[in-house]
Amino acid sequence: MAEEVKKPEEVKKPRKPLDPNSAKYKLGKIASDAFATAIEAKKQGKPVAWVSSNFPVEIPETLGLATAYPENQAAGIAARGAGERMCEVAEADGYSNDICAYARISLAYAKLKECPEQDVAMPDVLLCCNNICNCMIKWYENLSQELGIPMIMLDIPFNPDYEVSDAQVAYVTGQFWDAVHQLEDLFGLKWDDDKFQQVTGFSCRTSRAWLEATAQAKYIPSPFNGFDLLNHMAVMVTARGKEEAGEAMETLLKEYKQNHEKGESTFRAEEKHRVMFEGIACWPYLRATSRGLKDRGINMVTTIYADAFGFDYNSFDEMIRAYCSVPNAINLEKSRDKRIKLCKDNHVEGLLVHTNRSCKLWSGFMAEMSRQIGKECNIPVTSFDGDQADPRNFSEAQYDTRVQGLFEIMESNKESKEA
Amino acid sequence: MVQDTLKKFHEAATSPRKQMEKYLAEGKKVVLTAPVYTPEELIHSMGFVPMGAWGADMELNRSKEYFPAFLCSIVQSILEMGIKGGYKGASAIVIPSLCDTLKTLGENWKYAVEDIKFIPMTYPQNRKPDYGIAFTKAGYERVMRDLEELGGKYDPAALSESIKIYNKHNEVMRKADEMLAAHPEITAAERSDIFKSAFFMTKEEHTALVEEFLAELDKQAAGAEKIGIVVSGILTDAPQLNEIFDEFGMHIVADDVAAQSRQYRTDAPEMDDPLQALAVKFANMDNCSVLYNVKKPRVQWIVDTAKARGAKGVVVVMTKFCDPEEFDYVMIKKACEKADLPLALVEVDRQMVHFEQVRTNLETFRDMLTF
Ligand code: SF4
Ligand code: SF4
Repeated sequence: MAEEVKKPEEVKKPRKPLDPNSAKYKLGKIASDAFATAIEAKKQGKPVAWVSSNFPVEIPETLGLATAYPENQAAGIAARGAGERMCEVAEADGYSNDICAYARISLAYAKLKECPEQDVAMPDVLLCCNNICNCMIKWYENLSQELGIPMIMLDIPFNPDYEVSDAQVAYVTGQFWDAVHQLEDLFGLKWDDDKFQQVTGFSCRTSRAWLEATAQAKYIPSPFNGFDLLNHMAVMVTARGKEEAGEAMETLLKEYKQNHEKGESTFRAEEKHRVMFEGIACWPYLRATSRGLKDRGINMVTTIYADAFGFDYNSFDEMIRAYCSVPNAINLEKSRDKRIKLCKDNHVEGLLVHTNRSCKLWSGFMAEMSRQIGKECNIPVTSFDGDQADPRNFSEAQYDTRVQGLFEIMESNKESKEA
Repeated sequence: MVQDTLKKFHEAATSPRKQMEKYLAEGKKVVLTAPVYTPEELIHSMGFVPMGAWGADMELNRSKEYFPAFLCSIVQSILEMGIKGGYKGASAIVIPSLCDTLKTLGENWKYAVEDIKFIPMTYPQNRKPDYGIAFTKAGYERVMRDLEELGGKYDPAALSESIKIYNKHNEVMRKADEMLAAHPEITAAERSDIFKSAFFMTKEEHTALVEEFLAELDKQAAGAEKIGIVVSGILTDAPQLNEIFDEFGMHIVADDVAAQSRQYRTDAPEMDDPLQALAVKFANMDNCSVLYNVKKPRVQWIVDTAKARGAKGVVVVMTKFCDPEEFDYVMIKKACEKADLPLALVEVDRQMVHFEQVRTNLETFRDMLTF
């Protein structure tokens, strides 16, 4: 698959340079700086950590540890068309093609130590948090063995109950400080409470702006194309604890508000229907998946990511509870209710579910959950098979047929409503 | 007679439903225990009969309404059994969240099988530090509360007693594994029955039967030597698979199978607080794909055990779509290469009817080992 990956709107049209004051420019810069900063730190002999996307960033940020995010790197590699090539490297070493493609790409990178589609600084330590999946544990264990570097495991178990228990908070808190002390010892770093307060402030500020920006989809038409969120999310993953991230997200919010006032949108078509997209993007087919919707006037107005990075908390305990409540760590009922809220708040007319071959946890109770969402919101639900990073598991024809099916139901629902 | 006891193991291993009916008829309540580990001692102490629920070799229909195809067949078939009434009469199922697929089983279970209560067991991965032990204990207490709702009663003295019963069973199972290594005449199929029947009998009964078997085995002269192998994986009970092992003259001299020896390696220590002892047991468990350990000692354990037991090779039996095992496999493969230990990989699942691929792989492997 040698698809050129660019945002759908950008395809082949020469564009005028981005305004450096625009959110898009600022967010793009933060995302690319995230990789460059760690590479630079490495050159200067400073330690670098590879970090799971939902690991408490407050730890490396406060300690001043340079970071790179393997999931983010894998997404970039997949989006630039090298997912299959990297997966094959891992498979040649014996990794089954059933394993999450992010893990395969990352393990391949650990071996090759280069990939022109997205290089990162090689790590000195691994910061693993399994609040999104246990696959992460196995992946990082193997990285630790292959690279001969320490791994710090912050275990946040899947919560089968609706609320986070005090026992879980105590368990995670114990590990949080253990992780801090291990890092202090490993690299001679020093924890600073004032810095921690500052970082948590930034993280909350970024999260608040993100939540509010994504909530602008409440307007009809929506002031933005939901595919924007898939791109901007990289900043939420890698830089939410940084001041400039908060500032950029606030700019995004301002722009979305202005769009609404002016009746504009980054969705460059007439918005005939609004759907929620469930799952990780199919990075190798971003263009095809986006076009399939846009050509039919369907705007993907929201995704669970709109809620996923809402790390807005007022105390240490609340921060721990927030990390215990990320999308893949919560039970069906809580997952469902969050999505129902997003659907209702954003006037969603249909649910498009990506059954992601890579992600057993995300796809494993999606069928039952989306049935319940469809029923509660009285909206049609359609799913398609795909993969976030391995292009071999997606069929454009199936996608198109499924989206067309969803479109037709939404059309007829609209007609009967109007009648 | 060895054969008589083997027959009893076979009967229990192949008729879990009958076993369950028997316990229900005796007025007992049955609690199903899903893979890979559950606090069976606790369930037992509260007056229930814990019975292993590792699914069945069957076609999947109804489970497809819940699971996509790329989840392991063990979990798929547990749900299928549940929906189709295969576990009818059980009071509850305890499902731990030790792998991603198991997390989704519990969530689906609530809606797919409403007449059998889902009881989650949340284990920590950082299980050794004090905060990990405390969290394991909290997980047990959560199970306890649910079992109380079903009429169970917690009594520390009863738990201490159950721990003794389970530790004794562990001991006889370890002994069985050791003795079987010296008896090539006991087939792979028979070995599988001995282990599998443990899931469907009370531990008291199973211990007695294993002891009886071992006493007889001890009197029996060891059969002719075969090709010693170590088998590793989650589940290796498929009759066709064991038939192939037997057909090619392979003798399982040790196993690293989750449904077999991994269950029995660790005892709960003797302590004043039996619940604490049970949590410490979990902290001490290791060498398993669903128990975090950055050093992955399991890999070396396989190599060392193969050497110690004089195995000629290692057979990894991969349950298709089991990602914890798929990650470990690469490391096991490397370690075996380094140790000059031949390794074969065969893939199985619970819907498999054609074992030609397995047969071909193992035949090649046999030829390689006997060359
Ligand atoms: S895609 Fe799923 S399995 Fe892969 S890293 Fe993300 S959460 Fe884990
Ligand atoms: S076979 Fe593997 S994936 Fe399936 S339940 Fe067991 S550990 Fe999980």
